[in-house]
Amino acid sequence: MRRAVCAAALAVAVAASGCTPGGPGGGQGTTLRVLAGSELADMEPLLEEAAERTGVTVEMEYTGTLDGLARVAAGEAQEYDAVWFGSNRYLHLYEEGRGRVREETPVMLSPVVLGVRESRADDLGWSEGAGVTWSDVNEAVRDAEFTYGMTNPGASNSGFSALIGVASALADSGSALTGEDVERVGPELAGFFKGQELTAGSSGWLAQAFTERSDDERPVDALINYESVLLSLNRDGADLRLVYPADGVITADYPLTLLSGPDEEAEQGYARLVEDLLSEEVQADIAERTLRRPVASGVSGADLPSLVELPFPAHREVVDGLVADYFSDLRRPARTVYVLDVSGSMKGDRLDELKEALGSLTGATGGSLEQRIQAFQEREEITLLPFSTEPHEPRTFVVEPGRIDESLGEVTDAIGELEALGDTATYDAVLEAYGLVEQAPEDDYLTSIVLMTDGEVNWGMGPTPFAQGLGELSPEAARVPVFTVLFGEAGEEEMADLAERTGGRLFDAREQSLEEVFREIRGYQ
Amino acid sequence: MSPIPLPSGWRARMLLGAATAVVVALIVAIGAVLVDRFVGGATVVEGVVGSEKVDFFRDEEVMARLAELGYEVRVRPRGSRLLAQDAGDADFVSPGSDAGTDHVQRQHGVSTEHRLFSTPMVVLSYEPLAESLREAGVAHRSEEDGTWSFDLAAYLELTAEQTRWRDLPGDSVGSENRNEVLVRTTDPRTSNSGGLYAAVISYLLNGEEVVPPGGPDPEITDRLSDLFLAQGQPPESSQQPFEQFRDLGPGHTPLLWAYEAQYVHAMVNGPALPDDVVLMYPAPTVYSAHTLVPLTEAGDAVGALLAVDPELRSLATRHGFRAEGGDAFAELVAEHDLPVRDRVDDIVNIPTYEALEALLNGIEDAYDDSGMGPPAPEEQRPAAGPSREEDE
Repeated sequence: MRRAVCAAALAVAVAASGCTPGGPGGGQGTTLRVLAGSELADMEPLLEEAAERTGVTVEMEYTGTLDGLARVAAGEAQEYDAVWFGSNRYLHLYEEGRGRVREETPVMLSPVVLGVRESRADDLGWSEGAGVTWSDVNEAVRDAEFTYGMTNPGASNSGFSALIGVASALADSGSALTGEDVERVGPELAGFFKGQELTAGSSGWLAQAFTERSDDERPVDALINYESVLLSLNRDGADLRLVYPADGVITADYPLTLLSGPDEEAEQGYARLVEDLLSEEVQADIAERTLRRPVASGVSGADLPSLVELPFPAHREVVDGLVADYFSDLRRPARTVYVLDVSGSMKGDRLDELKEALGSLTGATGGSLEQRIQAFQEREEITLLPFSTEPHEPRTFVVEPGRIDESLGEVTDAIGELEALGDTATYDAVLEAYGLVEQAPEDDYLTSIVLMTDGEVNWGMGPTPFAQGLGELSPEAARVPVFTVLFGEAGEEEMADLAERTGGRLFDAREQSLEEVFREIRGYQ
Repeated sequence: MSPIPLPSGWRARMLLGAATAVVVALIVAIGAVLVDRFVGGATVVEGVVGSEKVDFFRDEEVMARLAELGYEVRVRPRGSRLLAQDAGDADFVSPGSDAGTDHVQRQHGVSTEHRLFSTPMVVLSYEPLAESLREAGVAHRSEEDGTWSFDLAAYLELTAEQTRWRDLPGDSVGSENRNEVLVRTTDPRTSNSGGLYAAVISYLLNGEEVVPPGGPDPEITDRLSDLFLAQGQPPESSQQPFEQFRDLGPGHTPLLWAYEAQYVHAMVNGPALPDDVVLMYPAPTVYSAHTLVPLTEAGDAVGALLAVDPELRSLATRHGFRAEGGDAFAELVAEHDLPVRDRVDDIVNIPTYEALEALLNGIEDAYDDSGMGPPAPEEQRPAAGPSREEDE
């Protein structure tokens, strides 16, 4: 038993405030270290304001939902006081997961629904109150070339929720999804995912990529994302009709989760922060600024429809199996051209790190779900295009179902053969990669280019002819994004510009390892 | 309030000694308990409680009254089966059933308990859904007082056929809902309220007899497990699904297994449930008996106060609990004009700790199963697509 002494004459009055030293303005602030999903970055301004009121500062570090929750379940998140993801459902599927949690408090809500461009929604007759179901969406993909963007279920909670939701809805068993259901609806699901035109490792980036494609002659028809993300796009001028599938959705409830074994300071800090976040004013503020639904009833948010919630599977095997199937069988396979700088400056440690980083993607068996789904998948096409003074001979590999290990072995061998020599003719190599993409047969692949370089462009084509070259690409090739990786002394501006121009994204391998970056990019392929 | 300077060293110890002495004396004396406000010490007492009692323990008035009596009670919520194991350094544990009380006592080698208050288990729904269920013969509305009953045996028949909401008669808001008609419960492996659901359903499945100790009939365990597993991932404790029921509407949670106290508390203290929420008394139902099992002397003292202090008992009533003796609960219900029954009939006893544990272990095995599930029950399901064999 512990005793607290609150000084004389305060026994009564102090009880309600918990007798905590260093309250607001007390100067003795508490810091909570929180492992969070990147979608929660938009809460940072609100958390800073909360810190002023409560004295509790939150330090957020971001990671993918499944990865983060698996780390918590495995007891590998000890350096954090708390975690905060869209949902803890995946954590609770681990038996060990339960013991890792001291307390969890849902802070806000957002269902994963569809945002459909108005004109397209009209074509399809998806008016408000039309009772559109996931099956209807599936039919639209099949019969009306309906396309959509959705995040990668292995990297982001919105894609994960969508996958579970769509599978449950198509299985239409009325109860929680089982292993048999997943097997039974596999063919239907594969049909559904033929419509997936955009993928991404984060909900925010997906929304951005979707917006950039809106002026394209063939824009993407819809986004599957959090209601809050879709409403935010509309607030910024997009023209999306929100379609709430009548057969049900999966809702994120954003539980702020105190991990077990906190010190007293963290526990009290957590309690103060949660109380503040659940107060009527802050809930209203959250609703207004993030467009997520408040959890506290009576707090006026926007007038949003009540939804049918699909049951979430009770078994991790069902969920893991479905996610693994998504990557190996259900989704459109990835086609990636890896444009790899092997100029002289890469010699030695850098080339070794590159080989190791790429090599880590060829390990298909064993490891966590996260590691398995980040590895190259069945049906996937990988092209290695090393370059220095000029582009080298490209080598293309397909991971053939039935001989996965052999296929990946060939990729590994080719990676091992990379040698460093010469200058850095980056633009020539990227245009060469686009040439390869244009030559590829028209098929069902989701294509992207990854460019890794460790130095500024110092050979070959300059930026102006390169820009011209990009302008001459076929419309299909022009939609292929370049994900650029900053390494060594790479020119940050050049790389950022290239990523932006092609609808890609810049990744920085100077702060984190090249392997981590390559793994993160997997979420976008 | 400005930060409080902490007295240090011998002076602090003297103050604490004095405070404890005074409090002990007061408890012994019972009756008029007035704390000497110049004795500035509050004994911090930590409790692990079922989530349904967190609001009570964190109620400002409850805390103020306990502080007046010399205690600062801090609680953390836990599901019922975790109560015992996570009590660690706590001063008391407060379970919500006799079996749970028994379990905590055994785990910690304690024989005492304080009986605080009780509340019957109920089913919450929304009016249009309740009407559908009435037409389906599952729900009934009393002509006398307008209160609702929920026929658990009829419900079991409905679930045996995997009836969906859209299959129910009438054009209720459920007409588009393709989910099965299932009462949402907490996780029986961790939570008291889910455990009590298992207790009452097992009574019906066992031919209206309390399941005896010894291995339960596998048929009972299988059927029970289905009722839990079909719901999907269950909430760990009772507060979360109640809030979801309240905030997310009938589409999210059409039927909720809840404590009557949760309903009464929400209606009396807010945030209130929506106007069309319907409170139904399952027939039969079970009582949740909330006790306090002390693990330290201070915990024991707090338990004694909660059980006998009139002010604390009155506050418990305001939280929707039924305290034995007195008309406080009936008066509260009348004051707020709630469709709550003064007397709840058709109560069954819950199995002993061993019998309930055996049932719950069976359910636990079903959750631990590979997830591929036994194919047998699947064959009875309405074929919504090609069977597995045809697929392969």
